[in-house]
Amino acid sequence: MAKYEKILLKNMEQPGYTGSLKEYEQTGGYQAFRKVCEGMAPSDIIETVKLSGLRGRGGAGFPTGVKWSFIPKDHPGPKYLCCNADESEPGTFKDRQLMERDPHQVLEGMAITCYTIGAETAYIYIRGEFWLGAKVLDQAIAEAKKAGYLGSNVLGTGKTINIFVHRGAGAYICGEETALLESLEGKRGKPRFKPPFPATHGLYQKPTVVNNVETLANIPHILNKGAAWFAAIGAPPKGTGTRIFCLSGHIKRPGNYEVPMGVTFREMIYEIGGGMRSDKPLKAFIPGGASAPFLTPEHLDVKMDFESLAMAGSMLGSGGITVMEEGTSMVWAALRLMEFFYHESCGKCTPCREGSSWLVQTLQRISRREGRMSDLDLLLDLCKSIEGRTVCAFGEAEVSPIVSTMRHWRSEYEELIREAEAAHPVKQEIPVLSQI
Amino acid sequence: MSEHTTTGMVTVTIDDVTASVPKGTLVIEAARQLGVMIPHFCYHPKLAPDANCRMCLVEIEKMPRLQTSCSTQVTEGMVVRSSVPTVKQARKSVLDFILANHPLDCPVCDQGGRCDLQDFSHEYTASGTKFVELKRVFQKEYFSPVIETQMNRCVQCLRCVRYCDEVMDVRALAPAGRGTLTKIKSFGVHELDCEFCGGCVQICPVGAITSRLSMYEFRPWMLKRTESTCGYCGDGCQMTFQAKDNDLIEVNSTLGVGRNNGDLCSRGYFGYHANVHEDRLQSPMIRCDGELVEVPWEEALAVVAEKLTAIKSANGADAIGGLIASRCTNEDLYLFQKFMRVVIGTNQLDSSARYGHMNGIHALQRVQGTHRWSMSFDDLLSANAILTVGTNLTETNPITALKVKEAVKRRGAELITVEALEPAIGTISNIALLSTHHLPLAPDQFASGTIGLLKAVIQENLVDAELVAHAKDYIDAIKKQVDAISWTDIEARTGLTAEIFQDSAKVFTRAERAVILVGQGVLRSQGGYGMTLNLMDLLVLTGKLNRIGCGLAPLAEENNDQGSVEMGAVSELLPGGKDCRSREAQQSLEAAWGCSLPSGEEGTLMDMLGKAKRGILKAMIIVGENPIGSLPPDSGIEDAIGKLEFLVCQELFLTDTAKRADVIFPACSYAEKDGTFTSTEGHTQAVRKAIEPLGESRPDWEILSALSVMMDHPLEYESVKAIGKEMRDLMPGTRTLGPSPLPPRPCLDTLTQYLQEGYQDTLATRYCLPGMKATHTFVLNVGQSIFHSGKFSTRAKGLIQIQSQGVLSMHPEDAERLGLACGDGVCLENQLGQVKTTVKLSDRIPCGVLFFPEHFDQDIQRLFAVSVDNDTHVPYFKCAHVEVSKAS
Ligand SMILES: Cc1cc2nc3c(=O)[nH]c(=O)nc-3n(C[C@H](O)[C@H](O)[C@H](O)COP(=O)(O)O)c2cc1C
Ligand code: SF4
Ligand code: SF4
Ligand code: SF4
Ligand code: FES
Repeated sequence: MAKYEKILLKNMEQPGYTGSLKEYEQTGGYQAFRKVCEGMAPSDIIETVKLSGLRGRGGAGFPTGVKWSFIPKDHPGPKYLCCNADESEPGTFKDRQLMERDPHQVLEGMAITCYTIGAETAYIYIRGEFWLGAKVLDQAIAEAKKAGYLGSNVLGTGKTINIFVHRGAGAYICGEETALLESLEGKRGKPRFKPPFPATHGLYQKPTVVNNVETLANIPHILNKGAAWFAAIGAPPKGTGTRIFCLSGHIKRPGNYEVPMGVTFREMIYEIGGGMRSDKPLKAFIPGGASAPFLTPEHLDVKMDFESLAMAGSMLGSGGITVMEEGTSMVWAALRLMEFFYHESCGKCTPCREGSSWLVQTLQRISRREGRMSDLDLLLDLCKSIEGRTVCAFGEAEVSPIVSTMRHWRSEYEELIREAEAAHPVKQEIPVLSQI
Repeated sequence: MSEHTTTGMVTVTIDDVTASVPKGTLVIEAARQLGVMIPHFCYHPKLAPDANCRMCLVEIEKMPRLQTSCSTQVTEGMVVRSSVPTVKQARKSVLDFILANHPLDCPVCDQGGRCDLQDFSHEYTASGTKFVELKRVFQKEYFSPVIETQMNRCVQCLRCVRYCDEVMDVRALAPAGRGTLTKIKSFGVHELDCEFCGGCVQICPVGAITSRLSMYEFRPWMLKRTESTCGYCGDGCQMTFQAKDNDLIEVNSTLGVGRNNGDLCSRGYFGYHANVHEDRLQSPMIRCDGELVEVPWEEALAVVAEKLTAIKSANGADAIGGLIASRCTNEDLYLFQKFMRVVIGTNQLDSSARYGHMNGIHALQRVQGTHRWSMSFDDLLSANAILTVGTNLTETNPITALKVKEAVKRRGAELITVEALEPAIGTISNIALLSTHHLPLAPDQFASGTIGLLKAVIQENLVDAELVAHAKDYIDAIKKQVDAISWTDIEARTGLTAEIFQDSAKVFTRAERAVILVGQGVLRSQGGYGMTLNLMDLLVLTGKLNRIGCGLAPLAEENNDQGSVEMGAVSELLPGGKDCRSREAQQSLEAAWGCSLPSGEEGTLMDMLGKAKRGILKAMIIVGENPIGSLPPDSGIEDAIGKLEFLVCQELFLTDTAKRADVIFPACSYAEKDGTFTSTEGHTQAVRKAIEPLGESRPDWEILSALSVMMDHPLEYESVKAIGKEMRDLMPGTRTLGPSPLPPRPCLDTLTQYLQEGYQDTLATRYCLPGMKATHTFVLNVGQSIFHSGKFSTRAKGLIQIQSQGVLSMHPEDAERLGLACGDGVCLENQLGQVKTTVKLSDRIPCGVLFFPEHFDQDIQRLFAVSVDNDTHVPYFKCAHVEVSKAS
């Protein structure tokens, strides 16, 4: 277990660490920000982050330095940073721990990012249920302000950096960056179509960076120890650094584990996670949050980095690994997720809004043993008509449970349908033109 | 679209057709230009793209997935395909998705036959659906008295919501809930309460929002369409009457048509029933033994011809006067004044333009020598600064208000609002909320506000350098006047400091293109003419009078106020707005008409009433106007009308005035006749007959023409077109063809004359501050409500359902002070009398001000004194000072 050096969870795993400013400073906290404030050029910071190979931890894995470089440099008027702390992806619970247990690490990352992109105001859009996280962050912000890290004239640079915590009201879609911005503006949380991207037309149509909590928490370390140090960790060149994986499901030791990218699922599940809960064989796992397509035991040796997972037909996503043991019904698992997606579809665009309700009803019918064989092709047709046709990436996410379980376990669907057909024989179809 | 840069052109290929279109054009628009129709629900040219329906997906070369053509701008060399199999499949799938939950209740849907969903389904998904699950069903919910929703039909394109927000600035609608359970709802727990512009009904691509006024009454193909012009306000909206069985079923407007460009207000959209109200007079009546009895046309005409001829020969032509409503068509107005001048032979004639519009006209004529704006309606959109004074814009001229909203919201114009309005969020839009500089004033202090602006211009040295070189005396004279007025005195009356006047004056002066909108608060208020002249001074001083895109625009309240002026239906002006005393104008008109013009003195409305009271004026012909309803008792109107020996009314309804008539001719409404109206901007637009005249009613011009024949001075015309031709020959600017006419340029000779001496005679009277009300009193103002126009609209059942009575609006703070709550009875009192009414709280009006809608003001009129403008003879009676107490 102590095999891998931790970066983000290191402090908080020290016994007695409470995450106060004093303790954070004692572990070298805010040194990176001090260094930056001593006059580092924003362009140098961006270069460092680019060289580190850091990619977004929110789901899409976009290179962070590149994202920052899209902010127009001499744009008059305000620019914003938004920290995406909505963490609503089923099976994902890492940001919560980062915020509750070591808030200053996140704040320092935000302060550096603000400095870099020239934002005076930053928001932490935090999932509404994370009331503790919101409280801890508010206290930490107050501490940091008092210590001169935040507020006006931070560390004597003459710059202003203010961070505000904004609590969401309970919609998964508000984790999508443009829906987050709408919600922050006080509107209904619905995604905007892109382009334009937040980098040019973000919060209040001003240049805006949206970064995940974990992404931002990495920033101070990269600046402290250098791009080369970070770039050497994990699975370079495209999967650098560590990731906090959230293990859940039929596993012995569920929880958050920070490991370098590139560790295999086998190691993660059987060594780090202690193996299957009731020692039944593994049947399936979701490798990166509910939006990531299901994988099978055949994929246990796939490495946990962006590229390897893409090649295996799934994605690293948010880092939430949900493990399912033999005996779990895959139709049920897909239905359970589909019910989630149906509930969370914001309803903005037709394919997702109508498709999610159609999919969920059809799946429910199949589960109730009232399905027909033709439903299977219909399900896949519907999925195809959703994927790539929606405003936001929710469309791709919602079809992945069905598409991937059908890919690997179609027979389970067929089985349920055969039972249905046995119970309710299909009557002969009435011909359209009878011989009158 | 306006935000897109449209400099330069780019080449695009859409479905193998290559063309060049302006850079920044949306693919869907470029396709339309190339003749390719891309199906869409959520896209609408008036709205910012939202790309939610996904119906407009197309394939674009070098782009990874299908793109929404409604949100993608063309770029150089772009190749678009809209009819390849993937695109067709995508369209079909979107329709399959929509139809999954759509109820398919087309047989009972008012949209059936003109529904985008029907049309697209027919075109792209001929096959049935594979959907075998349960459809989502919403319970029917009550929405509003005139607008109905059927949320099962909604396709969630949000056009309605976006329209209400982006165009109307009302924000009455919102989607509530998420996913398939999303419904369009009004804000709050109450029923819909908004401007009722009907825009959401019109913009909905399906039958999810419909009008209750025509519910289940028609199938679209049964309706007869007639393009016409709205008869309510001077904005002159183009609209379409839809009729069935000689009844008006509904009204629509069309994108791209008219200055309203598809928009309407509640009066236009829900007010058409006034025309076909059951109380319409259907046959001529004459008074027999004190009772009005129906008689045949010939008999009524004969009585009038005989009586008028008798009075004329006994007392002279000037014993007969005429009054006409500005709601009539130009043809009616033209024939009316010709009838009065030629058949009767008198200059005793006037129209309802006298109630205020004449102040604007005289000011324009005095300073710039035109009777029309020297800017166009579209110049509002390109203005850098707009100053509104006393316009009550949203309520009085709603479409002008839309242009102002667009100028500010989309084009970044600065807006200075001098209004009796507080920037409160409410159920209807509020331009004060959009303004960059807001100067809230009591309605009797617009003169102080105007003088404040002028003082700031002088004091801050904002006077145009060229003017300084040319018109020193003029500037000095004004300087002397404003110097004599202290900021303290201005502040005491306006509650505003010098600073806001200075800031506003700077913004106005700095603007390359600046427009002043002058409303009824100025034109119909004490000193209206002087205030308008002062605002002209503001244009002159800042060097904007003669600049393209700048100008002062008096806003007409009635649909054809401007036509009344241009047709010469006011005593001092001949057709073409020519001075009736100009020998040259007289001669050319005499030549055209082939007769001589009357030489008697002019008689405006108030002159005529005075003469009637004194028994000098014996008879009146009143066409569509109801002075007893309009003028307060203080004017002595009852006495004047009572003293008449003979009163003829041409009317739609038995109004308070018509009740006194000796003969009533039933006139037909503008829905039943052809002709033209001239909008406030001076654009003459066609009015077309949508239904046959009700009963025996006839167009006003026909009645006058018949009378003329019987009075041996035949003004005979084959049809209304022949009158139109005569008008156009006489006045080239009254053509209906084409878009807006080019606005006239200011006449430099007139301006020079004004700067030399023309300004002098009125200077002392107009550069002085109005008196102040006693602190414990309120300024009571009657004015327009957005849901009504004059008293005519109170016969429209739709509008009456929206607003059926007048209540007094009062600021909540005042109410609290007086211990009043919403719905309480109050007593208003001043030296003229005492009136009881009901109070409603509104933070939209300033403290110390009370507002009452004039459409229901019969009772409250008793509190208003009438004064008459020395120069323009406009009667003023819109403001009074009153004390308020709680009614016991
Ligand atoms: C439906 C949906 C939900 C999302 N939810 C979250 C979330 O809860 N937290 C998060 O950080 N990113 C979420 N994302 C990703 C964000 O849109 C965005 O990519 C991310 O915040 C960018 O930060 P990063 O570059 O640091 O990863 C979501 C995306 C989608 C499409
Ligand atoms: S894909 Fe779904 S969640 Fe995303 S915008 Fe469309 S309806 Fe909303
Ligand atoms: S009718 Fe009312 S809700 Fe509909 S667009 Fe007009 S103001 Fe908005
Ligand atoms: S009511 Fe009509 S316009 Fe409004 S969202 Fe529904 S379909 Fe669109
Ligand atoms: S018209 Fe383009 S997405 Fe609706």
